[in-house]
Amino acid sequence: MSEALATLEPEVEAPAHHHPVYDYDSGPPVERGKFAIWLFLATEVMFFSGLIGAYIVLRSATKSWPDPQERLAVNITAFNTFVLITSSWLMVKALFAAKRGDRGGILRWLAATIVGGSCFVGIQVYEYIQLVKEGAIPRVDIFWSTFYVMTGFHGFHVVVGVIWLICVWFCALNGRYTAKNHLGVELAGLYWHFVDLVWVLLFTIVYLF
Amino acid sequence: MSHDAEHDSKHFSAEKIFGGLFLFTMLEVGWGLVGKHFAFNRPMLWGGLLFFAFLKGWLIAVYFMHLKFEGWVVKSLILPTPFLIMVIFGYVMPDVADKETRLVHPVGSEVDPATGQVVEDMAKGWHPDHGSAAHSGAAPAAGTGKHGE
Repeated sequence: MSEALATLEPEVEAPAHHHPVYDYDSGPPVERGKFAIWLFLATEVMFFSGLIGAYIVLRSATKSWPDPQERLAVNITAFNTFVLITSSWLMVKALFAAKRGDRGGILRWLAATIVGGSCFVGIQVYEYIQLVKEGAIPRVDIFWSTFYVMTGFHGFHVVVGVIWLICVWFCALNGRYTAKNHLGVELAGLYWHFVDLVWVLLFTIVYLF
Repeated sequence: MSHDAEHDSKHFSAEKIFGGLFLFTMLEVGWGLVGKHFAFNRPMLWGGLLFFAFLKGWLIAVYFMHLKFEGWVVKSLILPTPFLIMVIFGYVMPDVADKETRLVHPVGSEVDPATGQVVEDMAKGWHPDHGSAAHSGAAPAAGTGKHGE
C-alpha cells in the first residue's frame, strides 16, 4: 500500500484512513449546460419531425394537394428565410466576440440578431394577417390547418428565442460573459441555429414542394 | 484571442458558410419556381429541393451549431434521431397514405356549406380570390358511400 501511495501525484493527499483520493470529474466530457441543451434539441427534433411527418403522410393520402405557390407568398417568405439565415450568421459573430472577451462586440452582434429575429416574426405575422383577410383560416381545409400548425409552432419557437436572446443581451450588458465563461451565449446560439435549421426544412416542404 | 476563438477562426469562416447558405437558398427557390414552370417530374423537383434543404441544414448543424467540433457525447445525443423519425414514418405511412380505396372520401375532403356536398378535390375547395367553394361555384364531388361524422 505504501508503494502504491508513493506513485500518486504529489498534490494528491491520502486522508488518515489511507484510501487514495483522486481529484477528477467523473461526469461526461462536456459542460452540463451544453449536454442539457443538446438533449433538449434532440426532443425538439422529434417534435418537429412529428409535425412534418404528419404533414407528409396526410399530403400523401389526399387526392390532390393545392399548389402552395398559388396560395402562399413564396417570394416574401424566401426573403424571410434570408433574414433568418442572416440572423444565424450574426449569432455566430456574437459567439466569436464572446470567445474573444469582446463585450461591445457581443452587444452589437446580439442586438443585430434580435432585430433579425424580430423582423422574421413581424413578416410572418403580416403574412398571417393577409391570409386571414382572404378567408384562409385553419378550419377551411387541411392545407391551411397543417400550414398554420407547422409555421405557428415554429413562429412560437422564434419568439421564445428572441426573448431568450434579449435576456442574454442584458446579461452581457452586466458584464457576465468573459472569454473563459460564455456558455450562456453559446447555449442561446445553439437554440437559435436550431430554429433556423427547422425553418430551412419547413420552407422547403411547405412552400416549395 | 482566446484558444476557442482562435480554434474556430482557423477551422471555418462564418462568412463563407453564410455565403454558401445564401447561394443555396437562391438556387433552391430558383429550382422550385423553374421546376413548377417547366413541369419537372416529381422525383426531379422534390429531389433537387430536398438536396438543397439538407445541404443547408448540414452546413448549419455542422458549422454554426459546431457539431463537427463536438465530441462523441454530443453527437450521440443527435445521431439516433433520424432512425426514430424513420420509425414514425414506418408506423404511420402504411395506414394512411395511398389508401384511397379504404376511405369513403380521401383525407382532405371538405363539405361545402352552401350545397352540403362533399368536395374531394381540395384544390377546388378554396380560392385565394374568393374564399370557399360556396363562392366559387365548384361542382359537387362524385363521392360514394355514406358520409362519416
